[in-house]
Amino acid sequence: MNLEAVKPRRLAIGLSLALLFAVGFGLWLQARGRAGLSAMVAERSAIVSLNALTEIVERVGLEGDSLQGAVARYVELHDGVASARVIRFQGIRMMASTAPEDTGEQAAPRKMAREEKPLYDLGQSLRAAVETNVQEGRAFKTEIDLQKLPAGGVGLAGPVAEGDKIVGAVLIEAIPSVYQVGGASWLQALLVLVVPILLLFALVKVVGDRPLVLLLLAALLLLVAVFLHGILGLEALHEERMAAEAHISQELTLTARGLATILAQEGLTASPPLEPADWDVDRFRRPLGLVTESAVDEQAVAVREAGEGRSYINLMIPVTVAALVLLGFVGLGAAGRTGAALSRHRVAYFYVMPAMVAMILLVFFPFSYGILLSFTNSNVYNTDQPLSDIWIGVENFVDILTDFELVKTTEDGRVFNYQNFYWTLGFTIIWTVTNVAVGVSVGLFLALILNTKGLVLKPIYRVLLILPWAIPNYITALIWQGMFHSQFGVINQVIQMFGGEGLSWFDSPFTAFITVLSTNGWLSFPFMMVISLGALQSIPNDLYEAARVDGATRWQQFKTITLPSLKPALVPAVIISVIWTFNQFNVIYLVSGGEPGGSTEILITEAYKIAFEQYRYGYAAAYSVVIFIILLTYGIWQNRVTGASEGV
Amino acid sequence: MQTRRFAIVTGTLLIGLILVPLGALAQTELVVWHAYRGGEKAAFEKAVAEYNKAKGGSIKVSTLAVPYDAYADKITAAVPRGNGPDIFIYAQDRLGGWIEAGNTIEPLDFFLEDEITSRFLPTTMEAMTYQDTVYGLPLNYKVITQIYNKKLVSSPPKTSGELVANAQKMTDATVGKFGLAYAYNDFYYHAALMNAFGGGVFGADGKPTMNSAANVKALEYLMMWADEKKILPAEPSTALITSLFNEGKAGIVFSGPWFLGEIDAGVDFGLALLPTIDEAGSPMRPWMTVEGVYIGAPSQHKDEAYDFAKFLTDKPAGVIMAVEGRQTPANTAVYDDAKVAADPILQAFRKQVEVAVPMPNKAEMTMVWSPATTAMNVIIKKNATPKAAMEEAQKEVVQRIAALRK
Repeated sequence: MNLEAVKPRRLAIGLSLALLFAVGFGLWLQARGRAGLSAMVAERSAIVSLNALTEIVERVGLEGDSLQGAVARYVELHDGVASARVIRFQGIRMMASTAPEDTGEQAAPRKMAREEKPLYDLGQSLRAAVETNVQEGRAFKTEIDLQKLPAGGVGLAGPVAEGDKIVGAVLIEAIPSVYQVGGASWLQALLVLVVPILLLFALVKVVGDRPLVLLLLAALLLLVAVFLHGILGLEALHEERMAAEAHISQELTLTARGLATILAQEGLTASPPLEPADWDVDRFRRPLGLVTESAVDEQAVAVREAGEGRSYINLMIPVTVAALVLLGFVGLGAAGRTGAALSRHRVAYFYVMPAMVAMILLVFFPFSYGILLSFTNSNVYNTDQPLSDIWIGVENFVDILTDFELVKTTEDGRVFNYQNFYWTLGFTIIWTVTNVAVGVSVGLFLALILNTKGLVLKPIYRVLLILPWAIPNYITALIWQGMFHSQFGVINQVIQMFGGEGLSWFDSPFTAFITVLSTNGWLSFPFMMVISLGALQSIPNDLYEAARVDGATRWQQFKTITLPSLKPALVPAVIISVIWTFNQFNVIYLVSGGEPGGSTEILITEAYKIAFEQYRYGYAAAYSVVIFIILLTYGIWQNRVTGASEGV
Repeated sequence: MQTRRFAIVTGTLLIGLILVPLGALAQTELVVWHAYRGGEKAAFEKAVAEYNKAKGGSIKVSTLAVPYDAYADKITAAVPRGNGPDIFIYAQDRLGGWIEAGNTIEPLDFFLEDEITSRFLPTTMEAMTYQDTVYGLPLNYKVITQIYNKKLVSSPPKTSGELVANAQKMTDATVGKFGLAYAYNDFYYHAALMNAFGGGVFGADGKPTMNSAANVKALEYLMMWADEKKILPAEPSTALITSLFNEGKAGIVFSGPWFLGEIDAGVDFGLALLPTIDEAGSPMRPWMTVEGVYIGAPSQHKDEAYDFAKFLTDKPAGVIMAVEGRQTPANTAVYDDAKVAADPILQAFRKQVEVAVPMPNKAEMTMVWSPATTAMNVIIKKNATPKAAMEEAQKEVVQRIAALRK
């Protein structure tokens, strides 16, 4: 930390930048909160209108003669509802409609037209959602559908019940009056931005030239400013919230009065009595319990506000930390130094830029998305929800890493739990180690043979020995799987030829391991052979001459000359091979498929099965992040231990 | 001179470029994906050609054969994003998953008329229905039935008592001869016994019932066949079953239409109904896999697609698929056709499907296979009792389903 670089001007610039960032972010969050409030009022008013209409429809009955009239009167009374339609599933009929084109010949009740198919499908999907929620016993699928209409306004759909069954749907087009929420106080924001800078300069005069104290004071000013701004903003939002709830309560009263009028006009009794509070529901048709006709339940509202307040704090904490870092970055002079470096090496950075952009798009973006996904419980049922709704933090990682149930006790004794992460991890490590060992030994051995002087037909041998690597490993894996077939496989046939009994290769974990080991061994030795051959050919012959003259045996020659010369080539090859083998999806998936019972799965095939057989995308993403961390740790450690990239 | 020639050529090209798309505008093009090969593919393309001829250029259907292994994943990836076909043909087991994922399959209730629904076997319509909405038209079904060697079995058994008695007489494990051979370790084949005892994978409320008493009873019954009566071979892989039957070492096999292509020319085989289980008082009820014609939700030509689907599931196309494609169509009228009525194999499967149960099409079905297979393997190797193994499978399935609901 270069404290000499702390100058009041730098600190002031840093503080203003940090304040702009943090307070700006806070302002943005608060503005979003306000917009959310406005949207919430609009949505709830629209849902109240929908539910009130559904109430009428259910009381009059889908078959009632006066349904069309009642619906028309409702739309008349309600400014916020532009048009309404009621459909019945049985017979695919439109029972009532106030749309301008549905008059004369096209007046309801009639069979629905082809263009109205999406409405019918929507109604049926709401019915399925209601039945699913009843079956699951909880709010799983939304029962009210809300869509923004292209021409402005909102289209809502809700189910119509007759007894226990959902027999139809109500669809309305609502143009809710825009509820104005008070704007942000610009004066406040300006004060919060400007006052700390002025205070900083004042304090500089008081404190004098003590860099550490100035730095700490600047940080303190930042924290206080952000904190004050947050408190004041949340207070203002609370006021707005209470006003909004009061507005909704008023709407309930008005709607209830209108409904009572219609019921009276239709000659229907108002019993059971209207419960307007039940019209204020969420999209799962669960009553919100926040308002009634006459009052606002302040405690219930406070509970919801507490939740929103917590999320504000959760978001502001990392932002404030980032702002502090920014303050330090600028204040300690690092920003100045970076800027100078960038302008000094302008051309170099310009050359690197296209590659950086490509990397960001093709590597970093999918990679960070995968990491984000691992903090959610994304699965096939919630792909349409935004990530913030399904956020569960580190729960996936906790589930993966703290599941120590390696051995299960069943009725018939103790059995390994093959689905356990640690079993799969252990198997993957054993798989990697044995494979790399086999590959390196076989490859090195063959390279030594190929390297003998005067070997005839050397080019032919080289080509033949590269073939395993050249053939796509997908095909190789399938061929090997066929060879290990217990009935018709070549290997068992050969064993039987020699009088033995063929094994059922995929029935026990050990023999299944042998199958995948042989396949991957066959696939991986050419790579090692080529690397070793190249390195062997670069060893000068005089070393061997000298050793022979000194009386060294062939084994000593190998140990003291060959192996150390091979190290610079073999070590990176081993690192690459370890990472490839760790993630060798094709061989495991195609040869043993994880049989028996998941005992020969490696981490990557397990992640694949979790994602595409169990449809748990978030959990599988967490699995892949764990794999990444393991391999990254290994790579860094290996690099440090062997100094493999020392030359770079 | 040069400029004039140039102007004429460019002018013609431009007019041509404008006219060509205009010509295409008058014709609706539909794309159908399928995973057929060989005879089925030829028959399917013949049916499509008939349709194109009948439409005389207003609708043109082109087919694309997609390899089976990648087919389902391609549909999952391509269709919801609008890159898929207008129509695709697939079995009903992935239906639930695709519907839950959304924007993949178009519901057909709006189009359906009674005369269309009534032409199909009711159970096949059930297979195409998810949460009381119909999502596809059933094209054909596959069930397992009794396939017997006419030389070894003079009259196929009608009850389990007959089956066991005959099989015991025929079985001689020392020479590798078995009275009954079928892939009883595959949960799909075992479902026939399971359903006979009233068991099943999901209950009426949609919750898994792997450990129900009926399922356990069915497994104990199977083990009785294997252990006590010893009429079944050990480790019954499909390859083993095929080779046993072809070598005349298996009297009776329970398998489906896919098995018929593997039978050697020299074996005189016959088809019969799966026997009735005396102890359960019900015939064996195999699972049926129903292939359906689905319309992609993002398709721009849904009405034309539905018209094609109606044609494909109608009698003329059904006869082509049955006689030349060796399929068993879901349309009941097909079996009245002279050629189909005279075909003993098609008629045998038609009779068998009367007692078949459609395989569940729920999204959670994919999570059942792995624990069920593990349970079957463990039970057959006698590493656990049926009750214990099914309890384990039930726990596993419930856990996997719960993980999706968190």
